[in-house]
Amino acid sequence: MIGNVIKYEQDNIDTDVIIPGTYLKIHDYNELATHAMEGLDPDFPSKVKDGDFIVAGKNFGCGSSREHAPIALSTCGIKAVIAVSFARIFYRNSVDGAFLLPIEVDEETYKKISNSDSLEINIETNEIKNITKNETYSMKPFSEIIAQIISAGGLFKYKK
Amino acid sequence: MTETLFEKIWNSHVVVERDDEPSLIYIDRHLIHEVTSPQAFDGLRVNNRKVRRPDLTVATIDHNVPTTDRSLPMIDETSSTQIKTLEKNCKDFGIKLFGINDPNQGIVHVIGPQLGITLPGSTIVCGDSHTSTQGAFGAFAFGIGTSEVEHTLATQTLWLEKPKTFEILATGKRKNSFAVTSKDIILSIIKQIGTDGGTGHVLEYRGDAISDLSMEQRMTICNMSIEAGSRAGLIAPDEKTFDYLNNRKYTPKNYDDLVDDWKNNLMTDANSKFDKTFTIDVEKIEPQVSWGTNPAMVSDVTSKVPTPEEFGNNNEIQIESAKKALSYMDLKPDTPIVDIPIDRVFIGSCTNARLEDLKDAAEIVKGKTVNSAVSAMVVPGSQMVKLQAEELGLDRIFKDANFEWRESGCSMCLGMNPDILKPGERCASTSNRNFEGRQGSGGRTHLVSPVMAAASAIAGHFVDVREWC
Ligand code: SF4
Repeated sequence: MIGNVIKYEQDNIDTDVIIPGTYLKIHDYNELATHAMEGLDPDFPSKVKDGDFIVAGKNFGCGSSREHAPIALSTCGIKAVIAVSFARIFYRNSVDGAFLLPIEVDEETYKKISNSDSLEINIETNEIKNITKNETYSMKPFSEIIAQIISAGGLFKYKK
Repeated sequence: MTETLFEKIWNSHVVVERDDEPSLIYIDRHLIHEVTSPQAFDGLRVNNRKVRRPDLTVATIDHNVPTTDRSLPMIDETSSTQIKTLEKNCKDFGIKLFGINDPNQGIVHVIGPQLGITLPGSTIVCGDSHTSTQGAFGAFAFGIGTSEVEHTLATQTLWLEKPKTFEILATGKRKNSFAVTSKDIILSIIKQIGTDGGTGHVLEYRGDAISDLSMEQRMTICNMSIEAGSRAGLIAPDEKTFDYLNNRKYTPKNYDDLVDDWKNNLMTDANSKFDKTFTIDVEKIEPQVSWGTNPAMVSDVTSKVPTPEEFGNNNEIQIESAKKALSYMDLKPDTPIVDIPIDRVFIGSCTNARLEDLKDAAEIVKGKTVNSAVSAMVVPGSQMVKLQAEELGLDRIFKDANFEWRESGCSMCLGMNPDILKPGERCASTSNRNFEGRQGSGGRTHLVSPVMAAASAIAGHFVDVREWC
């Protein structure tokens, strides 16, 4: 999976900035996507390209259980969020609905990746190749359950 | 073998468990609301599935309901559609709904316990992160996303990774147990363990300082477990728990037998091991006020807004985040907390809008008037809380002091209905999240207890509420 990085050098990017509460009434994913990251970066929907990755610090997705958060990001085209750590509900929501991959990396890797870098993520080998910088990093492997849900294509296809 | 309370509940709900694999856990109660359920019902329809146990599923409408006169038509069409969708889904799938005009309507985490739906030792889920509130009854209660809502509706089970255990031991006695509240205890805990301190763990709050609390105060503590990163927090049930749940609308018929059983089983065995432990002495806790944009950015009321460097403690990212928070909050470092003026006061939310919260706030407000620069509102956590408060005359006390007295719902906690802050407005709020834009785009939230919110409404700025009682 190859994509370009949109980096937010921040911890605790919460679900209220990913998709503010007032938009939780919206049922249509495409409309929801026009408000993705509005609380933090209102230009996000216009600059994001299909296949891009978000890179951020610790505790990404903290706050509410709204699945609207990974939905809004994935509908914009985000295929993975690479962060130092994730809030657990966001993490599960991302894989349960097969919206995007939540990928954990260590602090050092997080620092090495810059905005606009082109990355190749390989979840078989747990490696992230930075094509722009010609570097290779390792990602934290998914736990057994998460790996199984991802390869099944979401919670409902898992153990069917 | 010794076990913690959480492990006992987990073990008694395992349907399938194999080494190195997730466990399939049985769910005893499933609560739903209008915001996180529509896609789940869509999914059921697409796949021709039924709700497996409609009898264990209960719905209410709380997030986007107007808190003004409900006999008037709703102005917001998308909210109205979302409400109608839930009404239709409940009808189609045979689920009990406490709808917009039902006397039992209210914030989902307030009505669960109030109706006796929440029971000790049970597993409870809801598509809402503050489901952790109900852990105060010794239940394993946690928030889930919409895919998991659909899975629970279809199967009454969930695939879960077993969380680790984290003991939060609260010792000592609060110096002023009226002015230093359970909200101040939990904010102090989050300040110290951080917003991700509990990630992957279930918190068990223990110790004399916890037993000392009423059920409603315990709910405030468990409610905010998620702000420390924990999907669930719990407290072992005791006589207070059993009394609280007795004779509620849905209290089971064999309640006495259940209580006997709970008394024998629902506790952490002596010498059990937790994966982590944190101890806090509540005697040292002062009233707390948040100054930043996450619930760990909190200060004692007698102190000052910290400098980013003080807050960050050599961690660059933390220093940066504090700078950003201060700029969003329009606060200067070293400003005494009590010098921060406020524009709005919100007493409400699943954290602090139960009867005791309103009684305590009314105690402060009685005979006084809201500062002319402030607009203040009280939004009871449920219609039942509202009614009980009115029976005690609390509505009069608030109204006489120029507070608005509203119908129940989530209201200004998350800004989905018309109750929102204007950009730049500063609010003393009894809710649980001070994230940027949470209460309305550009709005500034300070998390406080109900008594602090009440006193600040009168003074027009934060005050050391210990001097008020
Ligand atoms: S009151 Fe606030 S935190 Fe509680 S359920 Fe409603 S929106 Fe969520």
